[in-house]
Amino acid sequence: MASVIRIRQLCKQYGAGEQQVKALRGVDLDIQQGEFVAVMGPSGSGKSTFMNLIGCLDSPSSGQIILQGEDVSQLSANALATVRNNYLGFVFQQFNLLARTSALENVMLPLLYSMLPDEQHKHRALTCLEQVGLAQRLWHMPSQLSGGQQQRVAIARALVNEPALLLADEPTGALDTQTGLEIMQIFQALNRQGKTLVLVTHEPDIAAFASRILMFRDGQLVSDQQQTPEDASDALLAFKQGAAS
Amino acid sequence: MTNRKLLMGAWNNLSVNLMRSILTMLGIIIGVASVIIMLALGNGAKRQVDEQIRNLGGNVFVVFGGSFNSAGVRGQAGSLQRLTDADADAIEHNISAVVAAAPELRSNVQVISGNLNWATNVIGSDNRLLVAQNWTLSDGREFSAAELGRGAKVALIGETLRRELFGAGEAIGQTIRVNKLPVTVIGVLGAKGQSARGDDQDDVLIMPLDTVRKKISGINRANPKAIRSITVKVATQQDMPWVEEEMTRLLSQRLKSAGNDIPFRIRNLSEIVETRMQAMQVFNSLLAGVAAVSLLVGGIGIMNIMLVSVTERTREIGLRMAVGAKPGDILRQFLVESVLLCGVGGAIGIVIAALTCLVLAQGFAMAAVLQWQVAILSLGFSAVIGIFFGYYPARQAAGLQPIDALRYE
Repeated sequence: MASVIRIRQLCKQYGAGEQQVKALRGVDLDIQQGEFVAVMGPSGSGKSTFMNLIGCLDSPSSGQIILQGEDVSQLSANALATVRNNYLGFVFQQFNLLARTSALENVMLPLLYSMLPDEQHKHRALTCLEQVGLAQRLWHMPSQLSGGQQQRVAIARALVNEPALLLADEPTGALDTQTGLEIMQIFQALNRQGKTLVLVTHEPDIAAFASRILMFRDGQLVSDQQQTPEDASDALLAFKQGAAS
Repeated sequence: MTNRKLLMGAWNNLSVNLMRSILTMLGIIIGVASVIIMLALGNGAKRQVDEQIRNLGGNVFVVFGGSFNSAGVRGQAGSLQRLTDADADAIEHNISAVVAAAPELRSNVQVISGNLNWATNVIGSDNRLLVAQNWTLSDGREFSAAELGRGAKVALIGETLRRELFGAGEAIGQTIRVNKLPVTVIGVLGAKGQSARGDDQDDVLIMPLDTVRKKISGINRANPKAIRSITVKVATQQDMPWVEEEMTRLLSQRLKSAGNDIPFRIRNLSEIVETRMQAMQVFNSLLAGVAAVSLLVGGIGIMNIMLVSVTERTREIGLRMAVGAKPGDILRQFLVESVLLCGVGGAIGIVIAALTCLVLAQGFAMAAVLQWQVAILSLGFSAVIGIFFGYYPARQAAGLQPIDALRYE
């Protein structure tokens, strides 16, 4: 299978001289198409830096990131923006929806910066909102939606440009357990359709739904394990029964 | 990103914070409105003065008789009646740039027509006065050479006189009595309106010089050919200085002064009006300057609010960057917002200025001439202010790092 992303000797340091902090110290990694990767590690382990780098939000100090065959390690700010727009979708802990902007318009936002003809924007956005089960909430403002619904709008937004890689940073961190499980259910469904996902979490329960777990510590990748994922639908069912009894 | 979407996005962002947008625009609205109003008032005043100069018949000198000085007792201007018809002819013939030099005699008279009467000034002169004072005829004809030669009992009357004596009736051919002299009206002068000093210029009666001299004012025995003044029309503004010098030389020669008498005085009428205009222009540019400062302050207000907006929306900027907005996209977004703020503010300012000009013109009879060029210019100027004062905040926004912006609390 093709590698969506290949990482070689990835290093990132902040500051200079005495104050220099080495956030990442040489990481090698390949992520194949169709994988569901969970990134774990204590705070300060470098997992956020790692996500920022593979999300092309930041440039590495040294080393290579090859995304869909393209070396993105030393691109300009403009070129990185284009890469993010073409290949990447982001889901954040705090949803980061635009306030006072409808769900539909929020989902269409990435297309605003794409080359896709205007006529197709709405259709694309509608398809993605259907995929996350929000076809009935197109014109709701974020403030009129629950946390889970907001996160689903955010997932639809991440899908709208048909990214090669979906990045989620603690997507369940701001949600209660049941809603978190519902979100994981969506992620697993997307993964089964062939989407490649990378998810940062510090909760082992959430990481259990992934097919591969990366463990970071002190800026290094300390373990890389394949696993049989738990099924989020089952977990949700079990949780509901537990809550009912 | 298409321009239409950029504009719509900016419009949405501004309408979300409607109150703030309006307050921000207020500076621009007031600035633009006051600049336009000041310019319109200046323009109106200039037009008024231009009209006065035109009515006056621009480039005009008036030569008055001097004053006597007898053993230290000095008489009033014109008390020395030594100017004559011949002096007027001499000026006209000897100085090439003089278009017309009209001799004048004046006298207060009571004019009667039927059961109506009116007190006015009769001017004794000839057709040269019409040239020198820029009169047109709205009806009838000028004096004929014969009428002037024999001192015929004919008259040209101003619009005010025509209205007071004849109302809606026909004036030409009618006989009026000037004091006790019956006179035939042969022409009506076109209306000129008020003079620079507010006098009614149309309250005028012109008769042949000899008629006035012999039948109305009476002959000055010491100087039978005496006249009160000469109105001299010069071809161009540039000729005025040397014509004045030449006239002074010529008249000094012709009117040898006895003792300390000042035989004549020359007054430049357009100078009075021009001085007034200059003062008005200084005043107006001062006001326009103050207005421009308020526009500047408005622009700084825009910058302030745009900076606040960038700070407030840092996370939004981060998100937009994360989903693919280039720094240039962010720059343009904020720039379009500030230009839109200024543009809308400018447009409102223009409307307010237009209404104010209308009220000033209608309600207070002030001359406010609004030029559409000025309106377009100030709209363009406010857009430039938007770019100028919006650029710095927009640069701040575009220069943000996506990860810092996303993490901003």
